[in-house]
Amino acid sequence: MNELYPHPRINGPIIQVTRLSKHYSNGHGVIPVLRGVNLEIHPGEMVAVMGPSGSGKSTLLFILGLLLPASSGNYQFLGQDVLNLSRTDQADFRRRRVGFVFQNCDLFENSTVYENLEFPLVYAQVERHERPARIVAALERVNLAHRLRHPANRLSGGERQRVAVARALVNQPQVILADEPTGQLDRQNGHMIMENFKHIMAQGDTSLVIVTHDTQVAECCHRTFSLEDGVLYES
Amino acid sequence: MLAIALGTAGFITIITMGRDLKQNFNRDLELLGRATLVKVYFERLPAYFHQNFTSATVQALRKMQGVRDASLAVCTYMAQSSNNGVAHNFSLFGVDNAFWDVCGFTTQDGRLTSLADNDLRQRVVVLGPELAQTLFGRKDVVGKKLEIQQDIYTVVGVLKNVGLGDLSHFAFMPFTTAQDRILRISPANRIYLRTLTWDDVDKVAPLIPQVIQSVQYAPGLKVEVAWDQVKRVKAVAFWVQLFIYSSIVATLILGGVGIWTVMMAAVRTRTREIGLKKAMGAEDQAIMAQFLAEAVCLSFTASLAGSFVGLLTVEVTSHLISSHPPQGLFLFCVILGLVVAVGLGVAAGLYPSLQASRMEVVSAIRYE
Repeated sequence: MNELYPHPRINGPIIQVTRLSKHYSNGHGVIPVLRGVNLEIHPGEMVAVMGPSGSGKSTLLFILGLLLPASSGNYQFLGQDVLNLSRTDQADFRRRRVGFVFQNCDLFENSTVYENLEFPLVYAQVERHERPARIVAALERVNLAHRLRHPANRLSGGERQRVAVARALVNQPQVILADEPTGQLDRQNGHMIMENFKHIMAQGDTSLVIVTHDTQVAECCHRTFSLEDGVLYES
Repeated sequence: MLAIALGTAGFITIITMGRDLKQNFNRDLELLGRATLVKVYFERLPAYFHQNFTSATVQALRKMQGVRDASLAVCTYMAQSSNNGVAHNFSLFGVDNAFWDVCGFTTQDGRLTSLADNDLRQRVVVLGPELAQTLFGRKDVVGKKLEIQQDIYTVVGVLKNVGLGDLSHFAFMPFTTAQDRILRISPANRIYLRTLTWDDVDKVAPLIPQVIQSVQYAPGLKVEVAWDQVKRVKAVAFWVQLFIYSSIVATLILGGVGIWTVMMAAVRTRTREIGLKKAMGAEDQAIMAQFLAEAVCLSFTASLAGSFVGLLTVEVTSHLISSHPPQGLFLFCVILGLVVAVGLGVAAGLYPSLQASRMEVVSAIRYE
């Protein structure tokens, strides 16, 4: 169970997106990226979003994490409309509700693994004495507890991505949003990351939305969606 | 950082040592004119001719705020000497030992008259260089004997011919000796007074009659100040001070611009870090506080280093000019310097911090 921010027991979806659109404007006109996307994600569910480059997969992920505003549509998180939150509330949402894993596993290079995992806890104002236990627990979920004091810049590619996963987990979010987390890893490390995800999802009611090109990664998920010309189809 | 350190050091040194340096500068400025020398005398009218200043008057003037020292003098313009059978007429001053410091006179050879000479009424004389030349045909005359009004005096010193003017043709002997032995010597009706700085002249001069009249009856009193010179010196000092303070401000601004540039570069190179932190839930204020704190740390550290340099400079300067600047003033300057540095850090770091805090997360994460 999530001890930091107890997950409310719900029967419905965690994420419910309806008719979500996103377009960018440039000097020549409007470029549509997402067109009327509908999506529901339930607790503990692993969802893959596939599609060609530039199809808007990452854009969808960023909108789900409130890193980008949507142009129109409706996005409800645990039944609450989150598209019109203030900047402060958006930051609070990212702190408490979601964890991000990016393709190039951005770690703070000059910090240790411990310090990398401490940042989200600092922003969430977790008491200093509570942090070590949470950090160790998150690292144990990716089998990296032995690397606690290791400098981030001395980790292997696979280890770096697992630390990034642990960092996304440390605040015990309800959804993990992963943008091609295995994109820069070899097959073995990619497999290990997916096994980690499966193990984590099996433990609780955290959900995963993963953007990927890799069909093997998608096969690990409960449901797979395909994004083409801004429209989302369930495969 | 260097600019802020230098600015702080300069600020501390100038403020802490300012008054002492001004006093020394003041002494040196006597070469240009006697701006801080005030002459107090009685009008040369028959009614006031026998007016005397008392030693209590001199003491009262010495106690005035802004006065460095005061000296009582007597004089005659008709002293006569006979040297090698040739008679010479010259002017002669009877002076106390404070006179030399008040007037800023030093010797090129020998010594000045001392307190002991005054107390013992010694028959010693200090000559102006031109008078020495006139009487002896040369200037290295220390130890020579000189007959003045049928008394024999020993020449103990010859003055440096710097800033003497007409006094280069004068002779000087102890005040008490002159009163005892010189015929037709004037009453003690002139006081020379030196203020600490040129800023003190216009504060001290108007108070002099009041102070004197509180000690003695003093009709026909005159206070003579070289106002034109005071004005000119003050104008020069104002521009010099303006230049120095402008330089300090310019240095600090340069330091601020340096910090601004460093912080802008830091925001640019750490764009991905900013994006990542925001993705983790960092609020705009947290990002802003982080960069502001870095800017203030830079500025504060530089100012701290500047304070140490300032402390060293103050120590060295005060040793060189034998002064003792007040510790409280130094501490005040250090604290003020640090506060200014913090303000400068905030001002210089504000825009880069704002830019970092308002950065769009996705653009920041994707920044290469």
